Amino acid sequence: MLDAFSRKVVSADAKGAAIGSEDLADLRKYVSDANKRIDATLAITQNVSCIASDAIAGMVCENTGLTQPGGHCYPTRRMAACLRDGEIILRYVSYALLAGDPSVLEDRCLNGLKETYIALGVPTSNAIRAIEIMKIATVAIMTETNTGRKMFKGINSGSGAQCQDIAAEAASYFDLVIEALS
Amino acid sequence: MKSAVTTVVSSADAAGRFPSMSDFESVKGSFDRAKSRLEAAEKLASCIDKFTNLAVDAVYQNSSYEQANKDKCVRDIHHYLRLINYCLVTGGTGPLDEWGISGMREIIRIQLLPTAAYVEAFMFIRDEIKINEVMSQQAETEFKGLLDYLINALA
Repeated sequence: MLDAFSRKVVSADAKGAAIGSEDLADLRKYVSDANKRIDATLAITQNVSCIASDAIAGMVCENTGLTQPGGHCYPTRRMAACLRDGEIILRYVSYALLAGDPSVLEDRCLNGLKETYIALGVPTSNAIRAIEIMKIATVAIMTETNTGRKMFKGINSGSGAQCQDIAAEAASYFDLVIEALS
Repeated sequence: MKSAVTTVVSSADAAGRFPSMSDFESVKGSFDRAKSRLEAAEKLASCIDKFTNLAVDAVYQNSSYEQANKDKCVRDIHHYLRLINYCLVTGGTGPLDEWGISGMREIIRIQLLPTAAYVEAFMFIRDEIKINEVMSQQAETEFKGLLDYLINALA
């Protein structure tokens, strides 16, 4: 598992060069954005059940056959498995966001995920739709474009507008999940 | 590779939980120290050739080692300083441990190299070179801490 710092080390070692000023600029930005990054990670961890259940509900609403007898979310046991998986993916996205590097998500979550879903008969197209909704919800919460409680209200580390970069980074991690399942 | 963040993430993952407030605190703590670490890494990267040559020249001055090996010594000292640069960036001893120390004793012994020469060179960098002329005091402390770690591992 790597983080933003060790990622630089691994790529510098491949070249056999020491890490100089140019490479350090990115890391300095990572360090100076630390508070925003932590708050953005909190935005996920504090809204996990909301994000995951909305996404699964949205997926079912768009395809009501899922909860009918014979559908993939029938009976409730299978729907519950779906909610659980949504939370697991959010958990790995939150790790990747905190570390500033997707290796933890790739190694521990996405590696073999598609094969597992195919073997279990989970329809990947529906799973991808649920992840898309989670991505949209997460970005909305981080950039404060959501309805309801605003993330930075009452804390002074930044504003939704200043979180655009980090929200884009989080979106890229969801894209990795979508890519892995496609 | 071990760093403050990966340690936190590994233990959270082992328990299957989201990062907690105490996890955020420890990540935050490592970021607070990061400024002097990154400064030390940057300054070391710009002086790495100078430090290497000064140290190797000092070690070979008293001619107790074969001059023929000098180039190889330069290469190795440079290599170790580069790993120290990596350690300063990650904020842990991971790169030194994984790429510089594990298996090192065996390699040095099989090639009949004198570890004392390495120790002497790193002690020269630690004690004789005026590091504080190129970096701030906190950065120097971070750098010397890693030099000490390496010297202890070699000795």
